[in-house]
Amino acid sequence: MEAEEVGARLRERFPDVVVEPFPGTAGRIRFPAARLIELLTEVRDGLGFDHLGQVGAIDWVEERELFYTVWSDRAKQYLFLSTRIPAGEPHLESLTPVFPSANWHEREACELVGITFDHHPDLRPLLTPTGYQFHPLLRSFRLHEPEELEVKVRDV
Amino acid sequence: MWINMGPQHPMTHGLWNLRVKIDGELVLDVDPEMGYLHRGIEKISEDRHYNEIITLMDRTCYVAGMAWEHLFIQAAEHALHIQVPERAQWIRTMSEEFQRVASHLMWYAAFVQDIGLMSPFLYGMRDRDLVLDLFQSYTGGRLTYEYMRVGGVRNDLPPGFTDQARKVCDWLSDRFVEYDRLCLGSDIFHRRCDNLGVLKASECIRYGITGPMLRSAGVARDLRKDRPYAAYGQVDFEVAVADGADVTGRYLVRMEELRQSLRILRQTLDWLDRNAGPVMAENVPRWMGAPYAPVGREGYLLKREYPKGVGFSAIEEPHGEALAYVVNEGGEHPYRVKLKSPVFVNIAAARQYLVGYRVADIPPIMGSVDVCVGEVDR
Repeated sequence: MEAEEVGARLRERFPDVVVEPFPGTAGRIRFPAARLIELLTEVRDGLGFDHLGQVGAIDWVEERELFYTVWSDRAKQYLFLSTRIPAGEPHLESLTPVFPSANWHEREACELVGITFDHHPDLRPLLTPTGYQFHPLLRSFRLHEPEELEVKVRDV
Repeated sequence: MWINMGPQHPMTHGLWNLRVKIDGELVLDVDPEMGYLHRGIEKISEDRHYNEIITLMDRTCYVAGMAWEHLFIQAAEHALHIQVPERAQWIRTMSEEFQRVASHLMWYAAFVQDIGLMSPFLYGMRDRDLVLDLFQSYTGGRLTYEYMRVGGVRNDLPPGFTDQARKVCDWLSDRFVEYDRLCLGSDIFHRRCDNLGVLKASECIRYGITGPMLRSAGVARDLRKDRPYAAYGQVDFEVAVADGADVTGRYLVRMEELRQSLRILRQTLDWLDRNAGPVMAENVPRWMGAPYAPVGREGYLLKREYPKGVGFSAIEEPHGEALAYVVNEGGEHPYRVKLKSPVFVNIAAARQYLVGYRVADIPPIMGSVDVCVGEVDR
């Protein structure tokens, strides 16, 4: 499957997405964040990309980018999807109703890049200690300037 | 009642905590707690040159360092538009397969001990050492190799390496027969593994599970076959599958993968014997990773600007599908490195394959998942 084919199959229902070629994959789709659930459902059921590989987040200072990698066992290909949201109040619908495996990926993006996922079943921090108040993968988090850290011990 | 299995529990094989909600012996709910080994590898990568990141990749999964080096290097080369010589591709393929053998032997040793068979543990560790000896002979390291470079590999193989490697392959293929007799012939093994931790193919795909866990459910998905990288398109092998979707199925898949790895290794060794050539691309400066100029050009800091681009790579790591996404914004360091670990996803679905079984079933089930915490926490 090529980027043109993906674009042709999505154009009717999703005139607002941009499909561009991305070497080694079936293409990269840029889409507005509001259409996440609709588009990913179509990509899963209509195009057959039913295996979520990863959800990642990038901090572009003014905005944050969320990218999704899905795999189709029929086409033996990956498909990239990415969307940008403003950094002021970064929140996005959770993908867990479509792909349950997005759960931990989104927990990680929440704690490391500071993006809130609406309607996520469980957004507790996954990797950082309880009470850790930074988002280490933001560009504003400097590696060489140690921060004061107070770690609270969780009651079990 | 919630109990903690971990962080110091023999089942964990690493540093993590499995919180288990139990009613008597019955598991009602589980909640894995990760993060004990979080070193911020993705963040540190944003502050390093490409070749300096290889050191971190070795430590991402400390039993499959070569595979993670390969993963990152491929993504970096994709981002920087660098072509790799053919011989380097074959050496990388060979290294990754030896790494798969070492990793699966480590899994075998740890897993059989979980289910109460002590002597296979010793055999597994003994045979893994032979593979580590081979690694030591051409990389200098036994666990963290720092062998691959952007554009190729650091050095060619030493003289006589392929003969030695073939001897190891012959030795191992005889041992695998014994492994199977020790485990599959044991009543204890079957009582503790059959029909446990069942996760059917449709559920595996819903929860994003890859690697031997997915193949044990009958899905022949293997990136080495489906999306061949390095020299995998030119070697002949079969994808190991089983249909039990249980602990025994995962055992069978990994043992078959070991045999298929030896098959790939013999082909790569033959190819390496027949074909000489460079192992490093010509247009890549050797000092790419070092912050200072090479000998003869000392005295000033090299300022480099790499072309803008994004790199993506996917490999079949011993535990499953690993993805790397590298963004270069034109500076000396990558702007963002995102690594996806297969074990991260496989543990995230723990509720699906642990709930409903007994507490005593947890060690064999988690053993069959083959947990490597280094790559989960990164």
